[in-house]
Amino acid sequence: MKGALTLGLLLLAATLAALALGQVRLSPALLWQGLSTGEGPGALVLGTIRGPRVLTALGAGAVLGMSGALFQSLFRNPLAAPDVMGFTSGAGLTIIAAIALGLSLPLPLIAAGGGLLAALLVVALSHRRGHATPPLTMILVGLGVGFVASALSSFLLTLLPHTQAAEAQRWLTGSLAARDWSHALQVWAVGGVLGALALAQMRRLAALQLGEDLAAGLGLRVGAARLALAGTGVLLAAAGVAVAGPVPFVALMAGPLGIRLVAARQLHARLLAAAATGALVLVLGDLAARAALPGIQLPTGVMTGLLGAPYLLWRLSREMEKGEL
Amino acid sequence: MLRLFGLLALLLLALALALSVGARPVSLAMALEALHSFDPTNPDHVTLAAIRLPRMAAGLIAGAALGIAGTIMQVMTRNPLADPGILGVNSGAAFALLLGATLLGRSDQASVALLSLPGAALASALVFILGGGLRGDVGPVRLTLAGAALNALLLSLVTAIVLIRQDTLDLFRFWVAGSLTQAASRPLAEMALLAAAGGALALAMAPQIEALSLGSALSRGLGTKPRRVQTAALAVVTLCTGAAVAVAGPIAFLGLMVPPLARIVAGHSLRRALIASALMGATLLLLADTLGRVVMPPAEVRAGIMTALIGGPVFMWVARRLRPGASA
Repeated sequence: MKGALTLGLLLLAATLAALALGQVRLSPALLWQGLSTGEGPGALVLGTIRGPRVLTALGAGAVLGMSGALFQSLFRNPLAAPDVMGFTSGAGLTIIAAIALGLSLPLPLIAAGGGLLAALLVVALSHRRGHATPPLTMILVGLGVGFVASALSSFLLTLLPHTQAAEAQRWLTGSLAARDWSHALQVWAVGGVLGALALAQMRRLAALQLGEDLAAGLGLRVGAARLALAGTGVLLAAAGVAVAGPVPFVALMAGPLGIRLVAARQLHARLLAAAATGALVLVLGDLAARAALPGIQLPTGVMTGLLGAPYLLWRLSREMEKGEL
Repeated sequence: MLRLFGLLALLLLALALALSVGARPVSLAMALEALHSFDPTNPDHVTLAAIRLPRMAAGLIAGAALGIAGTIMQVMTRNPLADPGILGVNSGAAFALLLGATLLGRSDQASVALLSLPGAALASALVFILGGGLRGDVGPVRLTLAGAALNALLLSLVTAIVLIRQDTLDLFRFWVAGSLTQAASRPLAEMALLAAAGGALALAMAPQIEALSLGSALSRGLGTKPRRVQTAALAVVTLCTGAAVAVAGPIAFLGLMVPPLARIVAGHSLRRALIASALMGATLLLLADTLGRVVMPPAEVRAGIMTALIGGPVFMWVARRLRPGASA
């Protein structure tokens, strides 16, 4: 309980800081005036630039965090996040392909298609007949799928004219620049539905975590349950990628950090903690990206990469000490 | 011996194709003529001298160097997934190079290119330590994931530089995925010397490296000093990867694919495997580059992307066969 409160307060503080700081700095008084009355010099900045940007970051971080936690529980491996396993690269690739080909389908659909395709590839390529696939094999195969997707993305990048290429490069790195209210609405609406769907499956996930045989003994259709959970996880990741690009490491970090902050044991609570932590990580990453260097806006993904890669390394050394890798 | 000649013949074929195939097809007879009696008014000759020859030389250097680096890495770590690209050594060299080019204003190609060496050295030392190298057991899965993390970190830094300094975007766009197209402006002779030094060191140390790969206890019994051999291997990887990145950019997966193929040809002798890897690496990179010129004209698919598209599936295939948790 205390942990949840801390996390909530952190999230509130980060949101307020993200709204107040940037190229134009708003004093607490101006921020309050803008938020409560919708008037004053702060209102314009909040209404057209930072409001939608911060809300999009919160939503995208939350769905990415949820997706990561879902996969980590499903595979019972802290490295099994959609960004390590190539799903977000797949979603990024299809979006770049759509930009290059001039397709005008909605981005979430395209991202979802790419993410699902990558996930199917990972499952198909790591499957061996008559053997249960070890999660680590799946993670490594996912890493390979991610490599190929990234190679194809950077190939498409060279085909684009210079201005589009700069835009696409920013996009591929993961960016929250120039988001409007439609992005925020989209990720909150899609994420809300998918999040509810994920929460509704927590009992099945709990049964799966007891082990396959026991879960089947409890009357669970193991294959279908797993497929539904993984599908929800991929769609959650794609919803985040569609508005923020394939931001690295948010999904990987959110679950374990959230559990650490909240110390929850129930799967529902863990998933929600991961969502809140994902939102926190992405909002802070975005704030750092646009406020760290005066006059320069870095894409958010650079910041999450700079923070997330050391986290992954630290995580690996922990796993090593426990002798689990 | 016969197999080695086969490899040489393949390499010659790849060299011939690299010279003659492209947007402006040049016959082999013309290529030979340009070599012995160069005519600066003949556009074919100019194409060859200004574009194809440097490009071919870059492919030869980078391919052979990456083949050697990959073989040494795989033997030292007993990890079939080891590759200078996957383990972040390429990115280390690339990062140092880009940083140097940004800070020094890209004034002197040769001295900027030299910066790739400390970058490669730092990255390979780091990934070795992170992967558990100091404890003397380098698990393949752990090492691969540590490499992926290091890669991500370095690429984030590279992206940050590129976005802060807009003038480096094109350098980055056509260089970070690995390409031989800029070969004429790269310090080919200097890097060829460095790569050759790395190759010579690898050949000289091959027996000790082989002994060490049997396990440090056994190798000590054979009179090998593990630290010294590890340092030498690190130097080989650094020299070869640094040179390859300086002439061709970070080309991934070549060092992954070549060593197992070379083993088939060379058998169990590491020395022979190293020679075979150098020949095969050069052949594969030249073929990938030539193929990239013809698959989607007029656009060129860079060599680094071709190797990733071929190498990615190879990576997955090896990963499937790897038993996680096993130490070899």
